[in-house]
Amino acid sequence: MNKWIVGAAAMAALWTGAANAQDVKIGVSGPFTGGSASMGVSMRDGVKLAVDEINKAGGVLGGKKIVLIERDDEAKNELGVQIAQELINKEQVSATVGFINTGVSLASQRFYQEAEIPVINNVSTGTLIAKQFLPPDHKANYIFRTSANDAIQSGMIAQEAITRQGFKKPAILADSTNYGQLGREDLTKALAAMDVKPVAVEKFNIGDTDMTAQVLKAKEAGADVILTYAIGPELAQIANAMAKLGWKVPMIGSWTLSMATFIDTAGANGDGAMMPQVFIQLPTTPKRKAFIEAYQAAYKVDRMPSPVSAAQGYDSIYLLAAAINQAKSAEGKKIREALENLQTKVEGIVTTYDKPFSATDHEAITANIPVFGLVKGGRVVPAHPEDLEGDTALRIKPKS
Amino acid sequence: MDILAQLVVSGITVGMIYAVIAFGYQLTFATSETLNFGQGEALMVGALVGLTTINFLIGLNLGTLSAYLLMLPVIMAFGLLQGSIVEFLGVRKAIAIKSEAGWIMATIAIGIIIKNLAENIWGRDALKFPSPLAEASLQIGPVRIQPMEIAIVVGALLLMLAVELFNRRSIYGKAVVATANDRDAAGLMGINTKSVITFSYALSSMAAAFAGVLVAPITLTGASMGAVLGLKAFAVAIIGGLSSGIGLIVGGLILGITENLTGYYISSGYKDVPGLVLLLLVLSLKPSGLFGKATIKKV
Repeated sequence: MNKWIVGAAAMAALWTGAANAQDVKIGVSGPFTGGSASMGVSMRDGVKLAVDEINKAGGVLGGKKIVLIERDDEAKNELGVQIAQELINKEQVSATVGFINTGVSLASQRFYQEAEIPVINNVSTGTLIAKQFLPPDHKANYIFRTSANDAIQSGMIAQEAITRQGFKKPAILADSTNYGQLGREDLTKALAAMDVKPVAVEKFNIGDTDMTAQVLKAKEAGADVILTYAIGPELAQIANAMAKLGWKVPMIGSWTLSMATFIDTAGANGDGAMMPQVFIQLPTTPKRKAFIEAYQAAYKVDRMPSPVSAAQGYDSIYLLAAAINQAKSAEGKKIREALENLQTKVEGIVTTYDKPFSATDHEAITANIPVFGLVKGGRVVPAHPEDLEGDTALRIKPKS
Repeated sequence: MDILAQLVVSGITVGMIYAVIAFGYQLTFATSETLNFGQGEALMVGALVGLTTINFLIGLNLGTLSAYLLMLPVIMAFGLLQGSIVEFLGVRKAIAIKSEAGWIMATIAIGIIIKNLAENIWGRDALKFPSPLAEASLQIGPVRIQPMEIAIVVGALLLMLAVELFNRRSIYGKAVVATANDRDAAGLMGINTKSVITFSYALSSMAAAFAGVLVAPITLTGASMGAVLGLKAFAVAIIGGLSSGIGLIVGGLILGITENLTGYYISSGYKDVPGLVLLLLVLSLKPSGLFGKATIKKV
């Protein structure tokens, strides 16, 4: 009998927990199934971890709980749009975090912009995302970001390959999606700024089974390094095609080279690949140590599927919570104003956020924050360990 | 010259995969003048069942090669079963009522259902298939080739040869050939043409499942792997002709090699174009395919 009463009470608590008007609702939109799922699920797990911690410590606005409304956008633009409308009109969220895919971000976020509800993109990297609704063309921009955009990443890739490692003849291999082709453009621009012209620029489709032609072309053009803009499975095909042709030059590319689908399927062929990372699964600061341990305990894994997504997801919630507390309101407009003028320093996993946003700058991550990661034995480790030693471990956005 | 050889060799590998799948189209077309438009999905689900089986066998402490060889009969039996089900659910009724398009929609629909099922069982991520042979490539003359690529070419030829021999030598095979030549006459001679058609669908899916586990070790396995391959194989079937075995092999090789040559000598952005141009050319100049026999349809 007692059991029943406890059970009923628990059910009632859950019920009110889900529907309590006193709570602050935050939407989470990301691909939890499909090819981008490792990033989406890690992001969501990071977000949940942060929300649990905040709720345990008393919530926001003096005792209100944060309630997450999670939706799977399957990396599909049209589904992202539907979810945006549902979260805005039906669930009436105070803010939304998420988006892994640039296309979904660009398709969905204008609904939030119109409804004056802030969005924090915590994984998408398309350069346009945080600039789509800049004032003065728009009254105010509701779109924020806590990930390193493609302009930053491609600049870093060019810098690393040409300046730091002294390669002279880069070849660019990019997939035919928006992500790959926009990234290729950014990369070509970054190289042109250094007076370097790629010796080969090759393209391939998602699902291509044979990369021999593309890799052979880079080889015959005398490339000494391969720069990539693509996602996990096809990146693995490139590494495997190089091994097949008995040709090994370094692969340096966007952060997707840290995807589990690349590391696991390329195996030994993928060792040595380098990519910009805002967070590497290493306890280089006490905060990072606590985060990694909490993540491993909560989700019973040793290797995080996508550490960068998890960290950026976690940080996006702490920024949002700080803004809600400062705004003393769960109203979209006030949260946006607070985010643009955040008075408290937020100690995050990626960095310490000290006034991360302003009315005109909605990018929390600057070019000095990411470091290069290197694939080694199935894990991502720092490419240059000195980048993460001592004072350099925590890299902070410079004051404007 | 070395580069040309390398491109051609890689093209042959891909082309032989296309040919095996197209062979499946041919099998059912011969007996019933219908095709399984879910052929790509038959390949995909065969590869995924193969993946589960081989991982299970490796879990029993078998070596990868012996696990792979033991897995082959399992997925071939699975292919036979899967093909029979497709025929039973999607094609039999349409043939019975002499529907011109019913089987097209039905086989496409079954393909989509299979894909959704696979997404729910195996997830949507691309998975790595254990390679039964060494993954390091061999240097043969000017060309570097993976042992698995050789196995693909040999395996594909063996499978097609075995089915052809079966059709020509065994009494059951003769029933298949008779039905292919003239379904009504075969029926009058006491051949159960219904079960022959079911059998040809079973063989067709078996070929697809076999192609799936052949190609899986050099690419990745996943619910979306079948769509592109099924479509390319369809192009091969049209180019080579739906009534010619040699035509399929030649068609497969033409498509595989032109893709690679275009990718290298013109632009990787146009890799898929020449194959489709060729498809259009064949359709307008010789609709029965390069090696196909023109048939006169009497109405």
